Amino acid sequence: MTEAVVEIIGLSKRFGAGVLAVDDLTFSVERGQVCGLLGPNGAGKTTCLRVLLGLVRPTGGEARIFGERIRPSSDQLRRVGTLIESAAFVPHLSGMRNLRLWWDAGGDKWADADVDTALAIADLGSAIDRKVKTYSQGMRQRLGLARVLLGRPEVLVLDEPTNGLDPGEMREVRQLVRRVSEAGATVLFSSHILAEVEQICTHAVVMDKGKLVAAGSVDALIGSAGAVYLEVDDVEAAKRVLGELPMVRRIDDEAPGIAVAIDGGPRSELVAALVRAGIAVETVTARRRLEDAFLGLVEAF
Amino acid sequence: MLTTAVLRTELVKNLRRPRTYVAYGILMLIPIIMAVAIQLNPPSVTGEGRLLYLASQTGLILPAFALRVTSFLLLVIIVALFGGDAIAGEASWGNLRYILMRPVRRGRLVFAKFVVAVFCAWVAVFLVVVTGLVVGVIFFGSDPINISFGFFSFSESTGDILAHLGVATVYVAWSMTGVVAFSFMVSCMTDVPFGAILAGVGLYFTSQILDQITSLGNIRYVLPTHYFDAWVDLVTRGVWHSDLWRGAGLQLGYVLLFALIGLWWFKRKDILS
Repeated sequence: MTEAVVEIIGLSKRFGAGVLAVDDLTFSVERGQVCGLLGPNGAGKTTCLRVLLGLVRPTGGEARIFGERIRPSSDQLRRVGTLIESAAFVPHLSGMRNLRLWWDAGGDKWADADVDTALAIADLGSAIDRKVKTYSQGMRQRLGLARVLLGRPEVLVLDEPTNGLDPGEMREVRQLVRRVSEAGATVLFSSHILAEVEQICTHAVVMDKGKLVAAGSVDALIGSAGAVYLEVDDVEAAKRVLGELPMVRRIDDEAPGIAVAIDGGPRSELVAALVRAGIAVETVTARRRLEDAFLGLVEAF
Repeated sequence: MLTTAVLRTELVKNLRRPRTYVAYGILMLIPIIMAVAIQLNPPSVTGEGRLLYLASQTGLILPAFALRVTSFLLLVIIVALFGGDAIAGEASWGNLRYILMRPVRRGRLVFAKFVVAVFCAWVAVFLVVVTGLVVGVIFFGSDPINISFGFFSFSESTGDILAHLGVATVYVAWSMTGVVAFSFMVSCMTDVPFGAILAGVGLYFTSQILDQITSLGNIRYVLPTHYFDAWVDLVTRGVWHSDLWRGAGLQLGYVLLFALIGLWWFKRKDILS
Protein backbone atom coordinates (compact mmCIF):
# COMPACT_ATOMS: atom_id res chain seq x y z
CA MET A 1 0.00 0.00 0.00
CA THR A 2 1.35 3.46 -0.89
CA GLU A 3 1.83 6.10 1.77
CA ALA A 4 0.91 9.72 1.17
CA VAL A 5 3.83 11.74 2.51
CA VAL A 6 2.48 15.14 1.45
CA GLU A 7 -1.26 15.78 1.38
CA ILE A 8 -3.00 18.96 0.31
CA ILE A 9 -6.66 18.64 1.25
CA GLY A 10 -9.28 21.17 0.10
CA LEU A 11 -6.74 23.94 0.54
CA SER A 12 -7.79 27.55 0.03
CA LYS A 13 -5.96 30.77 0.71
CA ARG A 14 -7.36 34.24 0.28
CA PHE A 15 -5.11 37.22 0.98
CA GLY A 16 -7.08 39.94 2.73
CA ALA A 17 -10.44 40.54 1.12
CA GLY A 18 -9.03 40.22 -2.38
CA VAL A 19 -6.93 37.64 -4.16
CA LEU A 20 -7.93 33.99 -3.91
CA ALA A 21 -4.47 32.52 -4.44
CA VAL A 22 -5.42 28.88 -3.85
CA ASP A 23 -8.94 27.57 -4.34
CA ASP A 24 -10.02 24.19 -2.94
CA LEU A 25 -6.84 22.43 -4.01
CA THR A 26 -6.40 18.71 -3.33
CA PHE A 27 -3.53 16.43 -4.27
CA SER A 28 -1.04 14.12 -2.61
CA VAL A 29 2.53 13.01 -3.11
CA GLU A 30 3.42 9.47 -2.18
CA ARG A 31 6.64 8.14 -0.70
CA GLY A 32 9.52 8.08 -3.17
CA GLN A 33 7.74 10.15 -5.82
CA VAL A 34 9.32 13.15 -7.46
CA CYS A 35 6.32 15.36 -8.08
CA GLY A 36 6.46 18.46 -10.23
CA LEU A 37 4.15 21.31 -9.31
CA LEU A 38 3.36 23.18 -12.51
CA GLY A 39 1.39 26.24 -13.34
CA PRO A 40 1.71 29.64 -15.01
CA ASN A 41 2.82 32.66 -12.98
CA GLY A 42 0.21 33.46 -10.36
CA ALA A 43 -1.21 29.93 -10.39
CA GLY A 44 -0.76 29.68 -6.62
CA LYS A 45 2.16 27.23 -6.55
CA THR A 46 4.33 29.19 -4.11
CA THR A 47 1.38 29.97 -1.85
CA CYS A 48 0.54 26.27 -1.77
CA LEU A 49 4.14 25.44 -0.81
CA ARG A 50 4.19 28.17 1.84
CA VAL A 51 1.08 26.73 3.46
CA LEU A 52 2.66 23.29 3.33
CA LEU A 53 5.70 24.66 5.17
CA GLY A 54 3.75 26.54 7.83
CA LEU A 55 4.63 30.02 6.59
CA VAL A 56 1.13 30.97 5.50
CA ARG A 57 -2.11 30.09 7.27
CA PRO A 58 -4.77 28.59 5.00
CA THR A 59 -8.20 30.16 4.78
CA GLY A 60 -9.67 26.69 4.39
CA GLY A 61 -8.54 23.08 4.19
CA GLU A 62 -5.21 21.81 5.38
CA ALA A 63 -1.77 20.55 4.45
CA ARG A 64 -0.31 17.39 5.96
CA ILE A 65 3.16 15.91 6.06
CA PHE A 66 3.46 12.29 7.22
CA GLY A 67 -0.18 12.49 8.22
CA GLU A 68 0.27 15.41 10.61
CA ARG A 69 -1.50 18.68 9.97
CA ILE A 70 1.04 21.41 9.38
CA ARG A 71 0.82 24.53 11.49
CA PRO A 72 3.47 27.24 11.84
CA SER A 73 6.70 25.64 13.10
CA SER A 74 5.28 22.09 13.17
CA ASP A 75 7.83 19.53 14.31
CA GLN A 76 7.29 17.53 11.11
CA LEU A 77 9.17 20.28 9.28
CA ARG A 78 12.37 18.85 10.79
CA ARG A 79 11.98 16.05 8.27
CA VAL A 80 11.72 18.47 5.35
CA GLY A 81 14.48 20.20 3.39
CA THR A 82 13.24 23.40 1.78
CA LEU A 83 14.20 25.91 -0.84
CA ILE A 84 11.47 28.48 -1.42
CA GLU A 85 11.74 31.00 -4.27
CA SER A 86 15.42 31.75 -3.75
CA ALA A 87 18.14 30.82 -1.33
CA ALA A 88 18.55 33.54 1.28
CA PHE A 89 21.12 33.93 4.01
CA VAL A 90 22.55 36.36 6.53
CA PRO A 91 24.75 38.36 4.14
CA HIS A 92 27.48 39.42 6.55
CA LEU A 93 28.26 35.85 7.63
CA SER A 94 30.20 33.18 5.74
CA GLY A 95 28.46 30.33 3.94
CA MET A 96 29.71 27.90 6.56
CA ARG A 97 28.62 30.10 9.47
CA ASN A 98 25.18 30.44 7.87
CA LEU A 99 24.78 26.66 7.62
CA ARG A 100 25.96 26.23 11.19
CA LEU A 101 23.70 28.92 12.66
CA TRP A 102 20.67 27.68 10.77
CA TRP A 103 21.26 24.16 12.01
CA ASP A 104 22.02 25.28 15.58
CA ALA A 105 18.77 27.29 15.76
CA GLY A 106 16.91 23.97 15.68
CA GLY A 107 18.76 22.78 18.76
CA ASP A 108 20.25 19.70 17.06
CA LYS A 109 23.86 18.54 17.27
CA TRP A 110 26.09 19.75 14.46
CA ALA A 111 27.48 16.23 14.17
CA ASP A 112 24.03 15.05 13.02
CA ALA A 113 23.87 17.54 10.14
CA ASP A 114 25.97 15.41 7.75
CA VAL A 115 27.61 18.61 6.64
CA ASP A 116 30.23 16.90 4.47
CA THR A 117 27.56 15.62 2.09
CA ALA A 118 25.97 19.06 2.00
CA LEU A 119 29.29 20.76 1.30
CA ALA A 120 30.04 18.32 -1.48
CA ILE A 121 26.76 19.40 -3.08
CA ALA A 122 27.50 23.08 -2.64
CA ASP A 123 30.97 22.60 -4.15
CA LEU A 124 31.95 26.09 -3.10
CA GLY A 125 35.55 25.22 -2.19
CA SER A 126 37.28 27.86 -0.09
CA ALA A 127 34.41 30.28 -0.85
CA ILE A 128 32.38 28.50 1.83
CA ASP A 129 34.35 30.61 4.33
CA ARG A 130 33.66 33.87 2.49
CA LYS A 131 30.82 36.18 3.41
CA VAL A 132 27.62 35.32 1.56
CA LYS A 133 27.25 38.91 0.32
CA THR A 134 30.23 38.24 -1.97
CA TYR A 135 28.51 35.22 -3.59
CA SER A 136 26.99 35.17 -7.05
CA GLN A 137 23.33 34.17 -7.42
CA GLY A 138 24.42 30.69 -8.51
CA MET A 139 26.68 30.27 -5.47
CA ARG A 140 23.85 31.29 -3.15
CA GLN A 141 21.53 28.82 -4.81
CA ARG A 142 24.09 26.03 -4.38
CA LEU A 143 24.57 26.95 -0.74
CA GLY A 144 20.77 26.87 -0.44
CA LEU A 145 20.76 23.34 -1.84
CA ALA A 146 23.44 22.38 0.70
CA ARG A 147 21.17 23.69 3.46
CA VAL A 148 18.28 21.67 2.02
CA LEU A 149 20.28 18.49 2.52
CA LEU A 150 21.51 19.16 6.08
CA GLY A 151 20.30 16.39 8.34
CA ARG A 152 19.34 14.10 5.42
CA PRO A 153 15.67 15.14 5.18
CA GLU A 154 13.02 12.61 4.12
CA VAL A 155 11.06 15.17 2.10
CA LEU A 156 12.38 17.90 -0.17
CA VAL A 157 10.21 20.86 -1.10
CA LEU A 158 11.94 22.84 -3.82
CA ASP A 159 10.50 25.96 -5.38
CA GLU A 160 12.32 26.88 -8.60
CA PRO A 161 15.60 25.37 -7.36
CA THR A 162 17.50 25.99 -10.60
CA ASN A 163 16.88 29.75 -10.60
CA GLY A 164 20.10 31.60 -11.26
CA LEU A 165 22.10 28.50 -12.16
CA ASP A 166 24.01 27.96 -15.38
CA PRO A 167 23.17 24.92 -17.58
CA GLY A 168 25.86 22.76 -15.97
CA GLU A 169 24.65 23.60 -12.48
CA MET A 170 21.05 22.98 -13.52
CA ARG A 171 22.02 19.51 -14.64
CA GLU A 172 23.76 18.93 -11.31
CA VAL A 173 20.57 19.90 -9.48
CA ARG A 174 18.56 17.46 -11.58
CA GLN A 175 21.06 14.73 -10.81
CA LEU A 176 20.92 15.62 -7.15
CA VAL A 177 17.14 15.36 -7.08
CA ARG A 178 17.37 11.97 -8.78
CA ARG A 179 19.98 10.78 -6.28
CA VAL A 180 17.99 11.81 -3.18
CA SER A 181 14.88 10.31 -4.71
CA GLU A 182 16.66 7.03 -5.34
CA ALA A 183 17.80 7.12 -1.71
CA GLY A 184 14.14 7.10 -0.71
CA ALA A 185 13.32 10.80 -0.28
CA THR A 186 10.05 12.25 -1.53
CA VAL A 187 10.38 15.42 -3.60
CA LEU A 188 7.85 18.13 -4.39
CA PHE A 189 9.40 20.28 -7.06
CA SER A 190 8.05 23.48 -8.57
CA SER A 191 9.56 24.76 -11.79
CA HIS A 192 8.77 26.84 -14.84
CA ILE A 193 11.16 24.75 -16.91
CA LEU A 194 8.88 22.00 -18.14
CA ALA A 195 11.64 20.03 -19.84
CA GLU A 196 13.34 19.88 -16.45
CA VAL A 197 10.21 18.56 -14.77
CA GLU A 198 9.75 16.07 -17.57
CA GLN A 199 13.29 14.78 -17.06
CA ILE A 200 13.24 14.29 -13.30
CA CYS A 201 9.64 14.01 -12.13
CA THR A 202 7.68 10.80 -11.92
CA HIS A 203 4.45 12.68 -11.25
CA ALA A 204 3.10 16.17 -11.81
CA VAL A 205 0.35 18.41 -10.50
CA VAL A 206 -0.87 21.15 -12.82
CA MET A 207 -2.44 24.27 -11.28
CA ASP A 208 -4.01 27.36 -12.75
CA LYS A 209 -5.77 30.28 -11.04
CA GLY A 210 -5.34 28.51 -7.70
CA LYS A 211 -7.21 25.39 -8.79
CA LEU A 212 -6.13 21.89 -9.65
CA VAL A 213 -6.12 21.31 -13.41
CA ALA A 214 -4.68 17.81 -13.55
CA ALA A 215 -2.61 15.43 -11.49
CA GLY A 216 -1.03 12.10 -12.22
CA SER A 217 2.07 10.44 -13.57
CA VAL A 218 4.08 12.45 -16.08
CA ASP A 219 3.58 9.70 -18.66
CA ALA A 220 -0.20 9.87 -18.26
CA LEU A 221 -0.23 13.67 -18.53
CA ILE A 222 1.92 13.71 -21.64
CA GLY A 223 -0.36 11.11 -23.24
CA SER A 224 -3.32 13.47 -23.09
CA ALA A 225 -1.98 15.91 -25.68
CA GLY A 226 0.35 16.02 -28.65
CA ALA A 227 2.18 18.18 -31.13
CA VAL A 228 3.73 17.88 -34.56
CA TYR A 229 6.78 19.65 -35.93
CA LEU A 230 6.57 20.38 -39.66
CA GLU A 231 8.98 21.82 -42.21
CA VAL A 232 7.24 23.03 -45.36
CA ASP A 233 8.12 25.10 -48.43
CA ASP A 234 5.66 27.89 -47.59
CA VAL A 235 5.32 28.47 -43.86
CA GLU A 236 2.71 31.26 -44.05
CA ALA A 237 0.44 29.32 -46.38
CA ALA A 238 0.79 26.23 -44.18
CA LYS A 239 -0.20 28.24 -41.08
CA ARG A 240 -3.31 29.49 -42.91
CA VAL A 241 -4.35 26.01 -44.03
CA LEU A 242 -3.69 24.33 -40.69
CA GLY A 243 -5.33 27.16 -38.76
CA GLU A 244 -8.67 26.22 -40.35
CA LEU A 245 -8.56 22.63 -39.07
CA PRO A 246 -10.65 22.04 -35.91
CA MET A 247 -8.07 19.65 -34.41
CA VAL A 248 -5.34 22.35 -34.42
CA ARG A 249 -5.11 24.19 -31.13
CA ARG A 250 -2.07 26.40 -31.69
CA ILE A 251 0.66 27.04 -34.23
CA ASP A 252 4.08 28.34 -33.16
CA ASP A 253 7.01 29.37 -35.33
CA GLU A 254 10.03 27.19 -34.71
CA ALA A 255 12.39 28.16 -37.51
CA PRO A 256 12.88 26.68 -39.99
CA GLY A 257 9.49 24.97 -39.38
CA ILE A 258 6.35 25.26 -37.28
CA ALA A 259 5.13 23.44 -34.19
CA VAL A 260 1.44 22.51 -34.34
CA ALA A 261 -0.35 21.64 -31.09
CA ILE A 262 -3.30 19.30 -31.69
CA ASP A 263 -6.17 17.94 -29.66
CA GLY A 264 -6.30 14.28 -30.64
CA GLY A 265 -6.98 13.30 -34.26
CA PRO A 266 -4.51 11.67 -36.67
CA ARG A 267 -1.40 13.62 -37.65
CA SER A 268 -1.87 12.37 -41.22
CA GLU A 269 -4.82 14.78 -41.52
CA LEU A 270 -2.41 17.68 -41.16
CA VAL A 271 -0.17 16.35 -43.91
CA ALA A 272 -3.14 15.59 -46.16
CA ALA A 273 -4.51 19.10 -45.76
CA LEU A 274 -1.16 20.63 -46.65
CA VAL A 275 -0.71 18.41 -49.70
CA ARG A 276 -4.25 19.21 -50.90
CA ALA A 277 -3.33 22.90 -50.71
CA GLY A 278 -0.23 22.31 -52.84
CA ILE A 279 2.25 22.82 -50.02
CA ALA A 280 5.30 20.58 -50.06
CA VAL A 281 5.98 18.85 -46.72
CA GLU A 282 9.65 18.16 -46.15
CA THR A 283 9.73 17.02 -42.51
CA VAL A 284 7.08 15.64 -40.13
CA THR A 285 8.10 14.88 -36.53
CA ALA A 286 5.61 13.72 -33.94
CA ARG A 287 6.03 15.24 -30.49
CA ARG A 288 4.46 14.42 -27.17
CA ARG A 289 6.02 16.64 -24.56
CA LEU A 290 5.06 17.83 -21.16
CA GLU A 291 5.14 21.39 -22.44
CA ASP A 292 2.43 20.58 -24.97
CA ALA A 293 0.43 18.70 -22.38
CA PHE A 294 0.79 21.54 -19.90
CA LEU A 295 -0.24 24.23 -22.36
CA GLY A 296 -3.13 22.11 -23.57
CA LEU A 297 -4.38 21.50 -20.05
CA VAL A 298 -4.06 25.11 -18.94
CA GLU A 299 -5.65 26.54 -22.07
CA ALA A 300 -8.54 24.12 -21.85
CA PHE A 301 -9.07 24.93 -18.16
CA MET B 1 17.58 24.39 25.67
CA LEU B 2 15.99 25.33 22.33
CA THR B 3 15.44 28.90 23.49
CA THR B 4 19.11 29.09 24.46
CA ALA B 5 20.08 27.80 21.01
CA VAL B 6 18.00 30.47 19.27
CA LEU B 7 19.30 33.17 21.62
CA ARG B 8 22.87 32.16 20.87
CA THR B 9 22.36 32.19 17.10
CA GLU B 10 20.65 35.59 17.21
CA LEU B 11 23.44 37.00 19.37
CA VAL B 12 26.10 35.72 16.97
CA LYS B 13 24.29 37.33 14.04
CA ASN B 14 24.30 40.71 15.78
CA LEU B 15 27.78 40.56 17.24
CA ARG B 16 29.29 39.59 13.89
CA ARG B 17 27.53 42.40 12.11
CA PRO B 18 29.68 45.41 11.14
CA ARG B 19 26.80 47.86 11.64
CA THR B 20 26.72 46.96 15.33
CA TYR B 21 30.32 48.06 15.74
CA VAL B 22 29.90 51.15 13.58
CA ALA B 23 27.01 52.22 15.81
CA TYR B 24 28.99 51.53 18.97
CA GLY B 25 32.03 53.31 17.56
CA ILE B 26 30.04 56.45 16.76
CA LEU B 27 28.57 56.46 20.27
CA MET B 28 31.99 56.04 21.85
CA LEU B 29 33.32 59.00 19.87
CA ILE B 30 30.82 61.39 21.43
CA PRO B 31 32.32 61.48 24.97
CA ILE B 32 35.79 61.84 23.49
CA ILE B 33 34.72 64.82 21.36
CA MET B 34 32.95 66.33 24.38
CA ALA B 35 36.03 66.00 26.60
CA VAL B 36 38.24 67.69 24.01
CA ALA B 37 35.67 70.47 23.47
CA ILE B 38 35.27 71.12 27.21
CA GLN B 39 39.05 71.12 27.69
CA LEU B 40 39.53 73.63 24.88
CA ASN B 41 36.59 75.81 25.86
CA PRO B 42 35.72 75.34 29.56
CA PRO B 43 32.17 76.38 30.55
CA SER B 44 31.56 79.02 33.20
CA VAL B 45 29.54 78.32 36.34
CA THR B 46 26.92 80.86 35.25
CA GLY B 47 26.88 79.67 31.67
CA GLU B 48 25.50 76.80 29.62
CA GLY B 49 24.11 74.42 32.16
CA ARG B 50 24.70 72.72 35.44
CA LEU B 51 25.53 69.27 34.01
CA LEU B 52 28.06 70.68 31.53
CA TYR B 53 29.72 72.74 34.25
CA LEU B 54 29.93 69.77 36.62
CA ALA B 55 31.40 67.65 33.81
CA SER B 56 34.23 70.16 33.54
CA GLN B 57 34.88 69.92 37.29
CA THR B 58 35.20 66.16 37.60
CA GLY B 59 35.57 63.46 34.99
CA LEU B 60 33.05 61.34 36.90
CA ILE B 61 30.21 63.56 35.61
CA LEU B 62 31.32 63.56 31.96
CA PRO B 63 29.56 60.21 31.26
CA ALA B 64 26.30 61.66 32.60
CA PHE B 65 26.65 64.66 30.30
CA ALA B 66 27.43 62.34 27.37
CA LEU B 67 24.39 60.25 28.25
CA ARG B 68 22.15 63.32 28.28
CA VAL B 69 23.43 64.66 24.97
CA THR B 70 23.31 61.32 23.12
CA SER B 71 19.87 60.44 24.45
CA PHE B 72 18.41 63.48 22.67
CA LEU B 73 18.91 61.82 19.27
CA LEU B 74 21.85 59.54 18.56
CA LEU B 75 21.15 56.95 21.22
CA VAL B 76 17.47 56.92 20.23
CA ILE B 77 18.33 56.25 16.58
CA ILE B 78 20.76 53.48 17.49
CA VAL B 79 18.47 51.63 19.89
CA ALA B 80 15.63 51.99 17.35
CA LEU B 81 18.00 50.43 14.82
CA PHE B 82 18.52 47.38 17.01
CA GLY B 83 14.78 46.99 17.64
CA GLY B 84 13.54 47.85 14.16
CA ASP B 85 16.00 45.70 12.28
CA ALA B 86 15.46 42.58 14.40
CA ILE B 87 12.64 40.85 12.50
CA ALA B 88 12.16 43.10 9.46
CA GLY B 89 15.89 42.97 8.66
CA GLU B 90 15.84 39.19 8.62
CA ALA B 91 12.69 39.31 6.47
CA SER B 92 14.30 41.74 4.03
CA TRP B 93 17.20 39.30 3.54
CA GLY B 94 14.64 36.55 2.88
CA ASN B 95 16.19 34.47 5.66
CA LEU B 96 13.24 34.72 8.06
CA ARG B 97 11.30 32.01 6.26
CA TYR B 98 14.23 29.60 6.48
CA ILE B 99 14.54 30.07 10.25
CA LEU B 100 10.81 29.42 10.66
CA MET B 101 11.02 26.34 8.45
CA ARG B 102 13.94 24.94 10.50
CA PRO B 103 11.49 24.97 12.40
CA VAL B 104 11.91 27.57 15.14
CA ARG B 105 8.69 28.40 16.95
CA ARG B 106 7.54 31.94 16.29
CA GLY B 107 7.17 32.84 19.96
CA ARG B 108 10.66 31.57 20.69
CA LEU B 109 12.13 33.55 17.79
CA VAL B 110 10.37 36.76 18.85
CA PHE B 111 11.59 36.29 22.42
CA ALA B 112 15.19 35.66 21.35
CA LYS B 113 15.28 38.54 18.89
CA PHE B 114 13.75 40.94 21.43
CA VAL B 115 16.19 39.93 24.17
CA VAL B 116 19.15 40.36 21.80
CA ALA B 117 17.86 43.76 20.58
CA VAL B 118 17.47 44.96 24.17
CA PHE B 119 20.91 43.59 25.06
CA CYS B 120 22.52 45.45 22.14
CA ALA B 121 20.69 48.65 23.14
CA TRP B 122 21.85 48.36 26.75
CA VAL B 123 25.42 47.75 25.61
CA ALA B 124 25.14 50.99 23.62
CA VAL B 125 24.11 52.92 26.75
CA PHE B 126 26.81 51.34 28.88
CA LEU B 127 29.47 52.05 26.23
CA VAL B 128 28.63 55.77 26.34
CA VAL B 129 29.02 55.74 30.12
CA VAL B 130 32.17 53.63 30.27
CA THR B 131 33.86 55.62 27.49
CA GLY B 132 32.78 58.85 29.18
CA LEU B 133 34.14 57.68 32.51
CA VAL B 134 37.53 56.67 31.13
CA VAL B 135 37.92 59.81 29.03
CA GLY B 136 36.51 62.01 31.80
CA VAL B 137 38.96 60.74 34.39
CA ILE B 138 41.86 61.15 31.94
CA PHE B 139 40.89 64.73 31.08
CA PHE B 140 39.35 66.06 34.29
CA GLY B 141 40.38 63.66 37.07
CA SER B 142 38.16 61.83 39.54
CA ASP B 143 37.81 64.35 42.34
CA PRO B 144 34.61 64.56 44.39
CA ILE B 145 32.38 67.57 43.81
CA ASN B 146 32.65 70.50 46.15
CA ILE B 147 31.25 73.68 44.60
CA SER B 148 29.97 76.81 46.25
CA PHE B 149 29.20 79.76 44.01
CA GLY B 150 26.37 82.04 45.08
CA PHE B 151 23.12 80.09 45.00
CA PHE B 152 24.91 77.19 43.29
CA SER B 153 26.31 74.98 46.03
CA PHE B 154 26.80 71.24 45.63
CA SER B 155 29.01 68.66 47.32
CA GLU B 156 29.15 64.95 46.65
CA SER B 157 31.66 62.22 47.41
CA THR B 158 33.22 60.09 44.69
CA GLY B 159 31.25 57.06 45.89
CA ASP B 160 27.93 58.93 45.71
CA ILE B 161 28.71 60.30 42.26
CA LEU B 162 29.46 56.81 40.98
CA ALA B 163 26.37 55.36 42.66
CA HIS B 164 24.14 58.05 41.12
CA LEU B 165 25.83 57.57 37.75
CA GLY B 166 25.08 53.85 37.99
CA VAL B 167 21.41 54.51 38.71
CA ALA B 168 21.26 57.03 35.85
CA THR B 169 22.81 54.51 33.46
CA VAL B 170 20.33 51.80 34.36
CA TYR B 171 17.46 54.30 34.17
CA VAL B 172 18.45 55.56 30.69
CA ALA B 173 18.98 51.98 29.48
CA TRP B 174 15.52 51.04 30.76
CA SER B 175 13.96 54.16 29.23
CA MET B 176 15.52 53.28 25.88
CA THR B 177 14.00 49.81 26.15
CA GLY B 178 10.60 51.41 25.46
CA VAL B 179 11.96 52.78 22.16
CA VAL B 180 13.46 49.35 21.34
CA ALA B 181 10.13 47.67 22.12
CA PHE B 182 8.15 50.02 19.88
CA SER B 183 10.56 49.61 16.95
CA PHE B 184 10.52 45.88 17.55
CA MET B 185 6.72 45.78 17.51
CA VAL B 186 6.66 47.54 14.12
CA SER B 187 9.46 45.24 12.96
CA CYS B 188 7.14 42.29 13.63
CA MET B 189 4.53 43.86 11.35
CA THR B 190 6.62 44.90 8.34
CA ASP B 191 9.33 43.59 6.05
CA VAL B 192 10.91 47.04 5.75
CA PRO B 193 13.49 47.57 8.50
CA PHE B 194 13.91 51.26 7.77
CA GLY B 195 10.21 51.82 8.43
CA ALA B 196 10.43 50.08 11.78
CA ILE B 197 13.51 52.08 12.80
CA LEU B 198 11.84 55.31 11.72
CA ALA B 199 8.74 54.37 13.73
CA GLY B 200 10.81 54.09 16.92
CA VAL B 201 12.50 57.43 16.34
CA GLY B 202 9.14 58.94 15.37
CA LEU B 203 7.52 57.72 18.58
CA TYR B 204 10.26 59.39 20.61
CA PHE B 205 9.98 62.74 18.86
CA THR B 206 6.18 62.73 18.74
CA SER B 207 6.08 62.01 22.44
CA GLN B 208 8.64 64.76 23.17
CA ILE B 209 6.67 67.28 21.12
CA LEU B 210 3.35 66.38 22.75
CA ASP B 211 5.01 66.62 26.15
CA GLN B 212 5.68 70.31 25.46
CA ILE B 213 1.96 71.01 25.06
CA THR B 214 0.99 71.73 28.65
CA SER B 215 -2.69 72.04 27.78
CA LEU B 216 -2.74 68.27 27.29
CA GLY B 217 -2.88 68.09 31.09
CA ASN B 218 -2.60 64.69 32.71
CA ILE B 219 -2.21 62.95 29.35
CA ARG B 220 1.40 64.13 29.33
CA TYR B 221 2.13 61.91 32.33
CA VAL B 222 1.54 58.77 30.29
CA LEU B 223 3.59 59.84 27.29
CA PRO B 224 6.49 57.38 26.83
CA THR B 225 9.18 60.05 27.12
CA HIS B 226 7.63 62.19 29.88
CA TYR B 227 10.01 60.91 32.57
CA PHE B 228 13.05 60.37 30.31
CA ASP B 229 15.07 63.11 32.06
CA ALA B 230 14.02 62.27 35.62
CA TRP B 231 17.56 61.06 36.38
CA VAL B 232 19.27 64.41 35.73
CA ASP B 233 18.58 65.91 39.16
CA LEU B 234 20.00 62.80 40.78
CA VAL B 235 23.38 63.49 39.17
CA THR B 236 23.39 67.29 39.29
CA ARG B 237 21.78 67.83 42.71
CA GLY B 238 21.88 64.43 44.40
CA VAL B 239 18.05 64.50 44.59
CA TRP B 240 16.14 61.23 44.17
CA HIS B 241 12.76 62.12 42.60
CA SER B 242 9.80 59.78 42.81
CA ASP B 243 9.55 60.47 39.05
CA LEU B 244 12.33 57.89 38.65
CA TRP B 245 9.97 55.18 39.90
CA ARG B 246 7.08 56.53 37.85
CA GLY B 247 9.26 56.59 34.73
CA ALA B 248 10.50 53.05 35.33
CA GLY B 249 6.96 51.79 35.89
CA LEU B 250 5.61 53.60 32.83
CA GLN B 251 8.35 52.08 30.66
CA LEU B 252 7.58 48.64 32.04
CA GLY B 253 4.00 49.03 30.88
CA TYR B 254 5.02 50.20 27.43
CA VAL B 255 7.70 47.53 27.03
CA LEU B 256 5.23 44.78 27.89
CA LEU B 257 2.49 46.29 25.73
CA PHE B 258 4.66 46.76 22.63
CA ALA B 259 6.42 43.40 22.97
CA LEU B 260 3.16 41.51 23.43
CA ILE B 261 1.49 43.24 20.47
CA GLY B 262 4.55 42.38 18.37
CA LEU B 263 4.37 38.75 19.47
CA TRP B 264 0.62 38.54 18.87
CA TRP B 265 0.97 40.02 15.41
CA PHE B 266 3.93 37.90 14.37
CA LYS B 267 2.31 34.67 15.49
CA ARG B 268 -0.60 35.36 13.15
CA LYS B 269 1.35 36.82 10.27
CA ASP B 270 1.70 35.19 6.85
CA ILE B 271 5.40 35.06 5.99
CA LEU B 272 5.58 36.23 2.39
CA SER B 273 9.10 37.68 2.24
